[in-house]
Amino acid sequence: MNSRFRITRWHVMGWIFLATLLFFAVAPMVWMLITSFKSQFAALKYPPELIPQNPNLEQYERLLSPKNDVGRQFLRYMLNSIWVSTATTVFGVAVAVPAAYAFARFRFPGRKALFFSVLFRNMFPAVVFLMPLFIMMRWMGLVNTYTSLIITYLTFGLPLSIWLLKGFYDNIPVELEQAARIDGCTRFQAFYMVVMPLSAPGIIATAIYSFITAWNEYVYALTFLNDDEKLTLPVGLQRFFAEYATNWPGLMAASFIMSVPVVVMFLILQKYFVRALTEGAVKA
Amino acid sequence: MAQVDFVNVDKSYGSFRAVKDVSFTVGDGEFVALVGPSGCGKTTTLNLIAGLLDLTGGEIRVSGKVINDLDPKDRDIAMVFQNYALYPNKTVAQNLGFPLRMRKVAKAEIKDKVEEAARLLDITHLLDRYPRELSGGQQQRVALGRALVRDPQVFLMDEPLSNLDAKLRVQMRAELKRFHQDLNATVIYVTHDQLEAMTMADKMAVMSGGVLQQYDAPERVFEEPANLFVASFVGSPAMNLLPATRVERDGTVFATGEGWELTLSDRNGAAARRSETDAIILGARHSSLALHETETSGAIPARIYTVEPTGDLTYAHVEVGDKTFVISVPPDRRIAADQPVWIGFDQNKLHLFDAKTEQRIAQD
Repeated sequence: MNSRFRITRWHVMGWIFLATLLFFAVAPMVWMLITSFKSQFAALKYPPELIPQNPNLEQYERLLSPKNDVGRQFLRYMLNSIWVSTATTVFGVAVAVPAAYAFARFRFPGRKALFFSVLFRNMFPAVVFLMPLFIMMRWMGLVNTYTSLIITYLTFGLPLSIWLLKGFYDNIPVELEQAARIDGCTRFQAFYMVVMPLSAPGIIATAIYSFITAWNEYVYALTFLNDDEKLTLPVGLQRFFAEYATNWPGLMAASFIMSVPVVVMFLILQKYFVRALTEGAVKA
Repeated sequence: MAQVDFVNVDKSYGSFRAVKDVSFTVGDGEFVALVGPSGCGKTTTLNLIAGLLDLTGGEIRVSGKVINDLDPKDRDIAMVFQNYALYPNKTVAQNLGFPLRMRKVAKAEIKDKVEEAARLLDITHLLDRYPRELSGGQQQRVALGRALVRDPQVFLMDEPLSNLDAKLRVQMRAELKRFHQDLNATVIYVTHDQLEAMTMADKMAVMSGGVLQQYDAPERVFEEPANLFVASFVGSPAMNLLPATRVERDGTVFATGEGWELTLSDRNGAAARRSETDAIILGARHSSLALHETETSGAIPARIYTVEPTGDLTYAHVEVGDKTFVISVPPDRRIAADQPVWIGFDQNKLHLFDAKTEQRIAQD
């Protein structure tokens, strides 16, 4: 007799719904992984092999070795992506932390208007700004530079970063800083020694968010960069599709490598991320 | 320890004046309570001493030195906050040691001082815990310890007991008072609870609307409230106030109201004459009034509204015209609602106020 939990029709329907969603989310990734271990020939076989008969790491070795053209190119893209994403993250956090703190703590004229204007940007789809931004970048002579991408990613990522972090600072009692200042801290020390450690989860979440956004971005990278040397991974991968259209395992291996940093980061830091997203919403 | 002088202190937010021209002196080693209803400017005043807010006008001096423009860290003060403001990511020992660490005190000395403070407050067994693992009373002690460890010139306390339950509050009240006596520390203590101020402070500064209403020893504030606000704020139950008209016949002064007339004693009559207008207000504490069940000369007619037994004393709520008086009587007194009674005044304990200026009229 289990009266506390009875399986109803709604439960069953819910499970089916979730299973469907899960299938659509996971199946492509599984397929990507399986294909990446196959030989080129096996990848084209019909009906396809669900489990590769001769799994090998040939594609990974080729992509990650600087000894051949493909590997050199791939590693180049990866380095470019790491550089752009890291710069976006570092600058993003460096701007978002003080901005969010100011919004949370200080009362200044136009504070509300400014805060909502920060969010206003997020109401438009990113593509809307593609042409205007391109024209601006060309005018400033920034086309085909990483600076153009970093600036663009910052303007897109900062609003949410600031919003997330403000939620954190709002929940840190102002008395803690006052106590710190009386206990011998300057205003900056009070922030650095007391508030920063308490908002670390928020800062980490913000950093991951900035990094992932920059890492995955495609449209702007495609538009702003021309030199093959300078491409980021998402765009580079697209080139691969064109050039090596028949090498499916190679493409899948490249795609898998690209998703690894995001997945790993998310797995390690997901508890901070979830906290950050809920913190602002629900007052503790 | 130190003397603190407030000289014409003013604090405005735009056009709103939160603290208006406040001047008083806290003597070396004195325990002063800033007391008043919420929004009266008492916490603002405390934050002005702490340096968390900037003065708009006037001066604050500690040991004769003007501290208006000093950073909080340079004022050599310590503060205990209402919510304790313990650093959640630091252990109790680290919390206690933080003010010393920030002042670059040697590690060994920090350890000694932290242990000494912990021993004094009986929290030695908690040193390795985090604030979230402590009860409210323990957090309160740690907050006190963090102020204590530095041996500051002045202690500031912002409603430090208001987050505790009633029983613990009474206990901590006694401990704080004892702590003040042992350390001979200068303490400025903010509270909205007049009883806390009465029981603990050497002097109380009663504030309302940003204005310092009265600054005196608690018993003086109780016995000679400076104005109607102080009279009604200090003491529980509040002082009974009865508006009256001053009438003079054949050299005798009477206070009259609707359906009653009270002959004032020579001393009170002389005082009443000093009122700017005929409108005066009589004030009497619950314990200075007598309740008669038969008509008595010198007593005014009234009617019992309700009776509240509290054990030690019974409070009779009595209607005089459209005013309600609270009068305490012994618990064995048999009285009932709607019973007609007569209220007798102890003229030596009667307070007189000028209804126009709302100020006390001195009786001498």
